[in-house]
Amino acid sequence: MTWLSSRFTVRVLLALLAFLVLARLPAGMDIGFQFDAALAAVWGFGILSLVLLTGYVGQVSLCQATFAGVGAYAAGMMVSTFHVNYLVAVAVAVVAAFALGVVVGLPALRLSGITLAIVTLGIALVFDRYVFQDAAFAWFTGGSGGWRVDGARMFGFQMDSSKHLLAAYVVLVGLFCLVALLMVNLHESGAGRRFRAIRDSELAASTMGVNLTRYKLLAFGMSAAIAGLGGSFYPLVAGSVSPQPFWLFTSLQLAAIAVLMGVRYVPAAALGGVFMAFVPDVLTRFGHGSFRGQSYDISFDWFQIAVGVLLVIQLILLPDGVWGDLRNRVLHAMAPARSAARAVVKKSVTTA
Amino acid sequence: MTMLRVRDVTVRFGGIVALDGVSFDINRGEILGLIGPNGAGKTTLFNCISGVIRPDAGAMYFDGRSLKFAPPHERARLGIARTFQNLQLWSSMTVQENLTVPIDALSKRNTFSDALHLPFSSYAERASAERARAILHVLELDQHAKTLAGDLPAGIQRRVEIGRALAGRPQLLLLDEPAAGLDARETRHLAELLHTVRERFHVSMLLVDHDMSLVLPVSDYVYVLDFGKVLAKGVPAAIQNDPKVIAAYLGEESGKQQGQEPAQEPAAVVAMPKKKDEAPLLEVEQLAAGYGHLEVIRDVNLEVRPGEVVACIGANGAGKTTTLRAISGMIHPRSGRVRFNGRDITGSSSEHISREGLVHIPEGRGLFPNLSVEDTLRLVANSIGREPDLPMAYRLFPKLKERRRQAVGTLSGGEQQMVALARAVLARPRLVMVDEMSQGLAPTVVRQLFEIIRMMRDEGIAVLIVEQFVESALEVADRAYVFEHGTIAHSGSAAELRADRKLISGSYLGSAVDGAAVASNGNGHHADPALMEIVSVKLPAKLKRTLEERAEQEGRPTGAVVMELLEKVKRV
Repeated sequence: MTWLSSRFTVRVLLALLAFLVLARLPAGMDIGFQFDAALAAVWGFGILSLVLLTGYVGQVSLCQATFAGVGAYAAGMMVSTFHVNYLVAVAVAVVAAFALGVVVGLPALRLSGITLAIVTLGIALVFDRYVFQDAAFAWFTGGSGGWRVDGARMFGFQMDSSKHLLAAYVVLVGLFCLVALLMVNLHESGAGRRFRAIRDSELAASTMGVNLTRYKLLAFGMSAAIAGLGGSFYPLVAGSVSPQPFWLFTSLQLAAIAVLMGVRYVPAAALGGVFMAFVPDVLTRFGHGSFRGQSYDISFDWFQIAVGVLLVIQLILLPDGVWGDLRNRVLHAMAPARSAARAVVKKSVTTA
Repeated sequence: MTMLRVRDVTVRFGGIVALDGVSFDINRGEILGLIGPNGAGKTTLFNCISGVIRPDAGAMYFDGRSLKFAPPHERARLGIARTFQNLQLWSSMTVQENLTVPIDALSKRNTFSDALHLPFSSYAERASAERARAILHVLELDQHAKTLAGDLPAGIQRRVEIGRALAGRPQLLLLDEPAAGLDARETRHLAELLHTVRERFHVSMLLVDHDMSLVLPVSDYVYVLDFGKVLAKGVPAAIQNDPKVIAAYLGEESGKQQGQEPAQEPAAVVAMPKKKDEAPLLEVEQLAAGYGHLEVIRDVNLEVRPGEVVACIGANGAGKTTTLRAISGMIHPRSGRVRFNGRDITGSSSEHISREGLVHIPEGRGLFPNLSVEDTLRLVANSIGREPDLPMAYRLFPKLKERRRQAVGTLSGGEQQMVALARAVLARPRLVMVDEMSQGLAPTVVRQLFEIIRMMRDEGIAVLIVEQFVESALEVADRAYVFEHGTIAHSGSAAELRADRKLISGSYLGSAVDGAAVASNGNGHHADPALMEIVSVKLPAKLKRTLEERAEQEGRPTGAVVMELLEKVKRV
């Protein structure tokens, strides 16, 4: 009874609904778009991790793709080297990412803002150029060829990328909806308030009994674990792991798109994931042809430019992000209707 | 009984000693007032107690437990809570959420059970919400529970800060300037509220404020800090009349005997009448201004005539600086009118105003530390459109000629202030406004600077100064305005105000200076420290303070008085 309070029930139902819709959506698409959909979920986790770290706790990180990469490589290694069930591999990947997140969080105990951003950028660079590419870490990265995980199984199902992409996608989206639900719960709970207190004023938080060391490290760990969870499915989706998707620039892109969509809002992560996976593909597929005799080619590069331009426009017009501002506007427009509805409910309760 | 013991706490920032061996006790149930001029070390002491900074030497004990290695959140759990001078509410959270954070911090809450919304978590959730609402009710904040803290006006935010501090079930409440920005009525309301809070929540308080109309009526006992040392201590009535305290607030000269006012009237009075006839250079009518939600000044009316020196005096936070900023266009006035030289300059840009001949030297002087003296002075060309008359400046400030190749940042504070004044004079202004000219400067330097102000007047430049050293300011000034609670409480010729010392000391130390001249001279140190430690921990507050006072009256160490009493008890 107590934990089925009405708000909580609404949240669970919304998450279920989102899962049912999202899981069905790519069924009719061609294999290319199905791949995009799965990729959208992977990057959705990446942006979700920033919603926790930046949106809730106010910490800056420019190495979220690195966490995802560590998750991907750890999962690939577990499956290829130790031949474990893919679920076990995912669990190991999440733990590995969490541990790395805590380590990256250590400088955040002393630094903040731009200095912290530079430090995390440095970490992303080290992993991108060295750990993911150097022969010394071949045990972890599988060398230049990366890991191939065709034939991996989960829940007793075959889940390799070429024939059963949708199965992996459904699991991924299910997990995404679950983690998103947990994050919304967290936001409204005691721990979430402590996180937000750190965001608004660290000084006040520490003097009001919030252990900064503990909660900052926890935030970095949890954020890295979320990114790593998404990343650990990358081998299933793509069939193999290579350093390219987890390079420095992806981290920057994740940060930019998180801000673009609304870094304080969980649904913005889904929006951002879709944006990040689909738009470049759509551009490369349909972005060439001829118009009034002039041939044109809007290739992938245009995507980078578009993100930059959109970011500038958004910061001016929608400072709380695409999702955040739209949400606020809708809530604002609906405010009279909502209060009227509440009055009706109250009346019916008192008369009953 | 003693709750917090602070012993010989010393804090240094680089070469500056912010706190120098400060010792005091806070007893259970007591409201201890802590006052002192700007830069006396009050906020530093607060930061030490709440663990934000670590003292370089000394010890603190809370309920007998050393606080040496306790981080801030640990101290909060032990029962030390605080508010902040510059509001530190979590502005994007609702008022109720602000209160629940410290409540939750007390219980063992688990992040993962919170995220999973387990029964344990949601039960704790409702318990915290209930307690938060109870506190909001006592503080009359019920209707704001669901408002975002950042959207509230500053006065209410201050009350929310007190509520948030109370939420963590503290035993000791540290209040850092809770009356800042409040007007006289709100301050009275706050004083009542603090008494309610003490009774309802059973807390002791350490109260820091510049506003004596809050500290003196509310506190049971008062410590005065100056230059990082305990200057005086005693019951509020005694503090109000302590010549040392008055001197610390008003400047060195008033350290003389209080009874006999200086008979010789300054010569400045003579110059007064002829200026009355001229049209005022600066006219300010019904000016109101502030920052964000905070209205700092209201109904300010003042005028400056050509070639006149006018002083603005009054306690910190009374609105002097804000008035200058609103006049010179650094902030936009909310209402009212400013006329300069016959033209309406209300809300004009500060650049435009300075071209009109009104120069504002802000607190901190606004200099470029890497520029040489001469380059700084040459920069004036930008605003007057021709080469400035440097020889004239060097004639007025011979010291600057010697240093003209030196970078401004390497000069002493007094010399930097001279550069700022010289730069102002070179712009050929009609009026110069100087904010806190003598802040942080030694008395001899201050005397030189006032000499320069006098010279500026002789050159025909009117000067409006905001000054801490009231006595020196009134010596130079023709007239003065006394600020209280964001508006002008008194005005008059400098001579009148100097004669009426009670009026001025009242605006700093609270009015109603009565005859109970219980001057307290003690400097906080006891002859027998070991015995005093025992006494200070075991005795109730009132008894202890009485003993201390008796010892001071008799000029003996407190330990000796205690020993004598013990002997008496033995004999009985």
